[in-house]
Amino acid sequence: MQENYLAKWLNNELSEEELKEFKSSEEYASYQRILAASDQLEAPEFDLDMAWKDFHERSTTDDTKVIRMRPFQKMLRIAAAVSVLFVISYFYFNSLNETISTQYAQRETVILPDASEVILNAGSEISYSKKKWDQQRNIVLEGEAFFKVAKGKKFTVATAAGTVTVLGTQFNVEHRDGFFEVSCYEGLVSVSYNEVETQLPAGSSIVIFNGTIVEDEVAKNQSPSWVNDESSFKSIPFKFVLNELERQYDIEVSTQGIDTVQLFTGTFSNTNLNLALESISAPYQIKVKLKGNQVLFYAEETP
Amino acid sequence: MDNVCEEAVFSNLFRTHSKTVYNYIYYKFGNQEKAYDAVQEAFVKLWENCAKVSPDKAKSYVYTVANNLYLNVIKAEKVRLKYAGRQKNTSYESPEFLMEEKEYKEKLDRALDSLPENQRTTFLLNRIDGKKYAEIAEMEGVSVKAIEKRMHLALKALRAQIDGI
Repeated sequence: MQENYLAKWLNNELSEEELKEFKSSEEYASYQRILAASDQLEAPEFDLDMAWKDFHERSTTDDTKVIRMRPFQKMLRIAAAVSVLFVISYFYFNSLNETISTQYAQRETVILPDASEVILNAGSEISYSKKKWDQQRNIVLEGEAFFKVAKGKKFTVATAAGTVTVLGTQFNVEHRDGFFEVSCYEGLVSVSYNEVETQLPAGSSIVIFNGTIVEDEVAKNQSPSWVNDESSFKSIPFKFVLNELERQYDIEVSTQGIDTVQLFTGTFSNTNLNLALESISAPYQIKVKLKGNQVLFYAEETP
Repeated sequence: MDNVCEEAVFSNLFRTHSKTVYNYIYYKFGNQEKAYDAVQEAFVKLWENCAKVSPDKAKSYVYTVANNLYLNVIKAEKVRLKYAGRQKNTSYESPEFLMEEKEYKEKLDRALDSLPENQRTTFLLNRIDGKKYAEIAEMEGVSVKAIEKRMHLALKALRAQIDGI
């Protein structure tokens, strides 16, 4: 009898002799009966139409639902991009800009790579390139700063209103919305404004606001008054004085019934607010009220 | 070459094979719910990958998916099959004969249940679904000879169990 003859028998693959031999065996009847009984077997019910309907529901919802992502891989990509960005910006900012800024009521002294000194008044910002400093001494200024420049190559202070060039000297530059002032205390300063160059010898200053240029004098071999904790003004519109007061004390100043365009000449302290308020209000015979960090200047008649 | 993504082709595949997939999984594990889910899962997978599966591979694809779904996961339960009482003048049979017949069917049930899963599946696919050995071999991913072996052993085991040898 060949291998797996029972399987062959079911498939009618037995030879005649084999079939004869198998039929004469005593187990043949048993197998016949098993087959007869098993041929009556039925599998459980299967509703094809229902399954088809179910399939449609599942496949349509799965279409929108199944989106395989690899969150870890995605994270890696983001991390790689971020770190590349970090490295690039690190080198970029390192090579281009060194920025120092002061908040209101803050002052900062900066020593530049060539030992030149910059004193930043409140609410100001300078930026320069540390790496290229040896080739060109360029500083971008917003606000007000006093410069003590070591002798050497051309030293340039650029503001939005104009640029100031020197070789080695002490001078003050202020540029704030529409107001541009340069005072020279030592040496010679060249100021270019609207492509017009003005030579400023020691002891002179230039004030430009609203397009008019006024030249004036300052004391030689000294520093601007703010370096010594005082703010001085000479024929300056009152609103610029109030703006400076705000910057020095980090307060909010408002006025009521006061002409803020009239010119002010005088000085106020940068360290004592009450004294400063008095020095501003007394000469004009106006009243002042201080509440928290709010200051109100008002005309005597108004309540 | 056309693929399975065409609605008509796919629908035809579903109608011809879903019942067999269902039975196939049921014979293995004896759980109707799992068998039904296996049909759904297998055809959803086929639909998702319809562009990659050619029609002649689709059949074995669904069996493979259905089979892999429960690989080693569920324990086989009792396989309950119905007997389609062939309506042949049963009323003329003697009560003794009917009783004996009933007992025999119960013995067969128990014997089927005690078969190894692969022998039972092969035997039932052949006897109930009329599948050829070659078709079963394709479903199970084995040779025709292996299926013949399973069939042979299944029959021997059934007889041994029923005749109490």
